[in-house]
Amino acid sequence: MTFSGELITGLTSLVIGCIAGLVMHRSDFCMAGMMRDLFLFRRYTMLKVLALLVLANMILTEVFRLYGWIALFPYPAFGPPALSNLLGGALFGFGMVLAGGCVAGTLYKMGSGNVISMFAFVGLLIGSTFYAEFHGAWKAFSDATVFAPGKITLPQLLGVSQGATVSAAIVILGIPVLNWWKTGAFVRRSYAAGYLQPWKAALIIAVLVTISVITIGVPLGITTSYSKFGSWFLSLILPEHVRDLAYFSAKPFSYANQLLGIAYSGGPGPGYDGIALIQYPLIFGLVAGGLISSASLGEFRIYLKVPLPQLASGLLGGVLMGLAARMAPSCNIWHLLGGLPILVMQSMLFGIGLLPGAWLGGKFLSGIVLKNN
Amino acid sequence: MEIKEIDMRGQICPSTFITALREINLNKNEIKSETFKLVFITDNRDSTVTIPETAENMGYGTTVTKIEQHYRIEIFAARQ
Repeated sequence: MTFSGELITGLTSLVIGCIAGLVMHRSDFCMAGMMRDLFLFRRYTMLKVLALLVLANMILTEVFRLYGWIALFPYPAFGPPALSNLLGGALFGFGMVLAGGCVAGTLYKMGSGNVISMFAFVGLLIGSTFYAEFHGAWKAFSDATVFAPGKITLPQLLGVSQGATVSAAIVILGIPVLNWWKTGAFVRRSYAAGYLQPWKAALIIAVLVTISVITIGVPLGITTSYSKFGSWFLSLILPEHVRDLAYFSAKPFSYANQLLGIAYSGGPGPGYDGIALIQYPLIFGLVAGGLISSASLGEFRIYLKVPLPQLASGLLGGVLMGLAARMAPSCNIWHLLGGLPILVMQSMLFGIGLLPGAWLGGKFLSGIVLKNN
Repeated sequence: MEIKEIDMRGQICPSTFITALREINLNKNEIKSETFKLVFITDNRDSTVTIPETAENMGYGTTVTKIEQHYRIEIFAARQ
């Protein structure tokens, strides 16, 4: 990989992250809230916006796949479906509700000065790093529960073409989305300064994911670098222990930037590699986007007087999300915005798992955490 | 006019919404007496959507004002 190639790839990731963070902050685009509010308050508006986002991603990805702009398909790092995807999704759903935001929501909220999200971020690092301690056992469980070996997408399982299956999915999802569009169901009335309607944010994010797929070769992903950062930090204290953990020495991810004609690989270990090149700028961008948005509105401020149960909930939620993101593997951004639009079965199971997790998280939060506020 | 002010700065959803809902229900008779106003101070932007929307659905009047880095959401009897 050349220096200029690295620079362009890293800058692309940074710009994508920055725009995504800004857009998410302006529109209060919170995926944890979308799932949680469905069960806690019977509010569906933001879940409908998520459906719009998935549909837009589905259409864009399929168009560029047909034109041959996507280097590797299905994207690298996806595998056959297993029970671990479902269980990981459920734990992730529980964790993100406790944390008050998913892996991306935590970052842009942290950038806007929110202390609970800062605690969730620390929790994410802890959970993502701790996973390495039982990776071997979990990997064995995951491999043993694979139920469609060699099949990654639904079309592969059904033995039909990607184009036909995605077209059918676009029609099935498109009908209710079109109906919601006509009835104005996507519109939210907000008094927040500089508010961006979430449906506009959804379309912008769909374009950003597509740009990432075309230029970097993969959809947006964040969580492996949480393990990477955690392992680097741990290596400062316990270098031999980090060396002994098989999870940190593996480099299972390979990507290809089709436009630049370069390939990169990486893993969760502490060294600099393709994961660090892509994900660190994305993380930094998401935080910076939240910071730029809030500062430009004059809303950036760090309030320290937050009830202790909420801080504890943020930390615990972050730890569980970090663990779940490794167990699933990967997070809601990767699965819902990357895998689901191309009908990856792992992502479908992860999405299904999110629902009971978010329901239970809402019960726990309202019944225990906020009762002791 | 009696005013009860609740500072929720630094908190996020659903804590802000649940707190607001609890306070509205606890003080519903006072609010309806038209001599009482609930005021929530928040820096959670989403609260400017959820709290007024729910309060209005419950029959109350609302106003939202941005003050420096935060928002002031007032809940009062609809006829005020």
